[in-house]
Amino acid sequence: MSDIILEMRGMEISFPGVKALDQVDFTLRRGEVHALLGENGAGKSTLIKVLTGVHRPDAGTMLLSGQPIRPGSTQEAQKMGISTVYQEVNLCHNLTVAENIFIGRQPMKRGRIDWKTINRRARELMLRMGMDIDVTQPLSAYSIAIQQMASIARAVDINAQVLILDEPTSSLDDNEVVNLFAVMRELKAQGLGIIFITHFLDQVFAVSDRLTVLRNGRLVGEYEAGAISKLELVTNMVGKDMNVIYNLQKAPRPDEAPVVLEASGIGIPGKVEDISLNIRKGELLGFAGLLGSGRTETAEMLFGVVPVHQGSISIGEEPLSLRAPLDAIRRGMAFCPEDRKRDGIIGDLSIRENIALAVQATRGFMHPLPQKEQQELAQRFIKLLSIATPDADKKVGELSGGNQQKVILARWMATNPDLLILDEPTRGIDIGAKAEIQRLMLEMCKEGRSVIFISSELDEIIRCANRIIVMRDLAKAAEVDGDTCTQADILAIIANEGEGEEAAV
Amino acid sequence: MPDIHSRTLGHRERLRALLTNPRYLMVYATIGIFLLIYLFGALLYGSKGFTSVRTFMLFFSDNAYIGISAVGMTLVLITGGIDLSVAAVASLTGMIIAYGTTVLGLHPLVCILIALLAGVGLGALMGACIQYLNVPPFITTLTGMFFARGVTSLISRESISIKHSMIDALAGFKIYLTWPNAQGEWVKIKPVASIDLNTIAFLVVIVIGAIILQRTRFGRNVYAIGGNEQSASLMGLPVARTKVLVYSFNGLCSVLAGIAYVLYVKSGWNLSLQGAELDVISACVIGGVMLSGGVGYMFGTLFGVLLKATIPAIITFNGAMNSWWAKIFTSVLLLLFIMIQRAVIASSQRTRRK
Repeated sequence: MSDIILEMRGMEISFPGVKALDQVDFTLRRGEVHALLGENGAGKSTLIKVLTGVHRPDAGTMLLSGQPIRPGSTQEAQKMGISTVYQEVNLCHNLTVAENIFIGRQPMKRGRIDWKTINRRARELMLRMGMDIDVTQPLSAYSIAIQQMASIARAVDINAQVLILDEPTSSLDDNEVVNLFAVMRELKAQGLGIIFITHFLDQVFAVSDRLTVLRNGRLVGEYEAGAISKLELVTNMVGKDMNVIYNLQKAPRPDEAPVVLEASGIGIPGKVEDISLNIRKGELLGFAGLLGSGRTETAEMLFGVVPVHQGSISIGEEPLSLRAPLDAIRRGMAFCPEDRKRDGIIGDLSIRENIALAVQATRGFMHPLPQKEQQELAQRFIKLLSIATPDADKKVGELSGGNQQKVILARWMATNPDLLILDEPTRGIDIGAKAEIQRLMLEMCKEGRSVIFISSELDEIIRCANRIIVMRDLAKAAEVDGDTCTQADILAIIANEGEGEEAAV
Repeated sequence: MPDIHSRTLGHRERLRALLTNPRYLMVYATIGIFLLIYLFGALLYGSKGFTSVRTFMLFFSDNAYIGISAVGMTLVLITGGIDLSVAAVASLTGMIIAYGTTVLGLHPLVCILIALLAGVGLGALMGACIQYLNVPPFITTLTGMFFARGVTSLISRESISIKHSMIDALAGFKIYLTWPNAQGEWVKIKPVASIDLNTIAFLVVIVIGAIILQRTRFGRNVYAIGGNEQSASLMGLPVARTKVLVYSFNGLCSVLAGIAYVLYVKSGWNLSLQGAELDVISACVIGGVMLSGGVGYMFGTLFGVLLKATIPAIITFNGAMNSWWAKIFTSVLLLLFIMIQRAVIASSQRTRRK
């Protein structure tokens, strides 16, 4: 009994119209990493919010080290030893790393804050996490990975017994993930219980000891990480067979169709150089490459977000000069940006308003879209994309990540685009929603639209794209056939620095 | 154990790190521009006495009420808020003291106590509205401003001069600056310069403000709230208490500023200090406090006040220029500082991407 830190029994909570948690049990042992899995809306976040005092459960008991608890706020939960590190690091960017770790509990000396001790101890803590950094610099000077470590350092130093990591890896590169896992193993060796929430199944198996799977607010089961296969896990998460989900039919490669957009030698000195590409009507063109390889920059040039310094772009036969995204929108293009929180959704507006936004932009503000048409538009896309919401007037900020992504997709589909550019549309959303977005892309191609699909996940690019452009070091490295190439082919191109082999198109 | 002290710096490196720290860039800009303008005045009007100690001390004593109020305002601005009621509360303070002593015959200390209760109370009330009713600071304090102005006019609509021995004594208090002459005797410097009570109060409040900001948990919470209020709350910081306290403290500073103004003009009038809240806010902004919150230093505010004081002084020394030119130069200065702030933000965002 003593190795159980946290026990949640029969947790129930209802929100208007939804039973978010229904008889959910969860057990966390000392010194384990316990992955909490499920699709968006399965109840993971709700369970965590109950645990951290954001929501009050309708029923159920929680025991922390055998003592019943009922936290009423995040602060209270923190005092009990339950700390959370969120996906978006919740620290203050204007304060130094050291201060972020110690604020609110600064060591004092003669009634005044003892900065020397703060800086020294913060440095020790960060070193223990393998971060040799100057802790007196503002937090904003460092990458998300380091900010996250500062956040973990704070939580651990507050004497956390239970550490919740909510999607910690979605903004990290591979090395940073490896380092985070090392820290997680170190912490669990110290006896902490870690709850790990992620969408990356490989990571679940790499670091977790045990998994709990939720679906639709109910407990599906608790498993030993070694005793379940990835396929079984996914099947449990979505409640359907993975093969059924991925039964996607790629559209045939439209070699004869007219070219809708052609770019020759476009670039911005110092950012991306000399990109040439074309895309045909009904084609799905994939963009593969590492983060920062120039994929996003290329997409932004095509859409007029950043001005093109070299080369030219033409739509159909017509040369095109893009000064602003609105020019591109008027030519029938659409662009879902990578960072949906920053560049995409407007969280305080309703689903209806968010969907109507791009259509409205093409009409100009003198011709407002009637309320009734907006409503019809929203209803149509909520149904078409199966956006999980009670009605079209819910604020987008209150939706889950996958559903937010669908709203952005709907916004651009509503403009009836000939060419849709999607930058990482499936990042940070669950497998079911991923499959749905992939299905939608393929359907759009079948309707004769063209799609440029940017993704870090090679398997989904290969699954969907007719042709794939591989980016490396801010330039186009190769163009490969989506039907015949394999992940290994693309990885080889990304990894190979020397020669720029041009695979057969 | 890893060598933690490998990063301990020598004195020279530490000084260089301090001077190149981007966090202090705005303060350095303020000090630099202050020195430039002062030098400009010195070159043009040095012979007329611009560089005299007397003129320099007048920068402090003539602007003490702005400076004292700017201390509280700095805290408010760092939380990301704003307070438009400061001048009205200061004016109310003046009226309470003037009406109380001259018309009602109360002792000034009683009047000051009443003013303190009113000012701090109003500040706390506004802070509570902002925090608990979620009313934007602009609207809340605009309401507070109208309220304080209204109450002032209700008390009296005439300018009431103050005749009381204690007020006279406080206003007349001066420490003359002296230096040794050839015989080694301490004599008053020429032209005569002195430190009055307002100057002392101004500097003391600045130092207290700086200690609060840099050396107390309350002060650091103020920065955290301005940086990201939601994060501050998730980190378990007492956001609500801090915000109410910040506005209460600003109410206190407004009353102190009002007392300083009373000592300066020795009267109370319902139309006094019209628009002075904007002088206070602009002094803070010129001193490097960001209206978006999270950034600012007391030291910067001090120089912001001095810089704002230098410009009218130069215009006065010129003699030929219309005094409204001071406003125009101040506006140019404000524009300059806002542009520097944008540049600093842009460059810090660029370094983060790396």
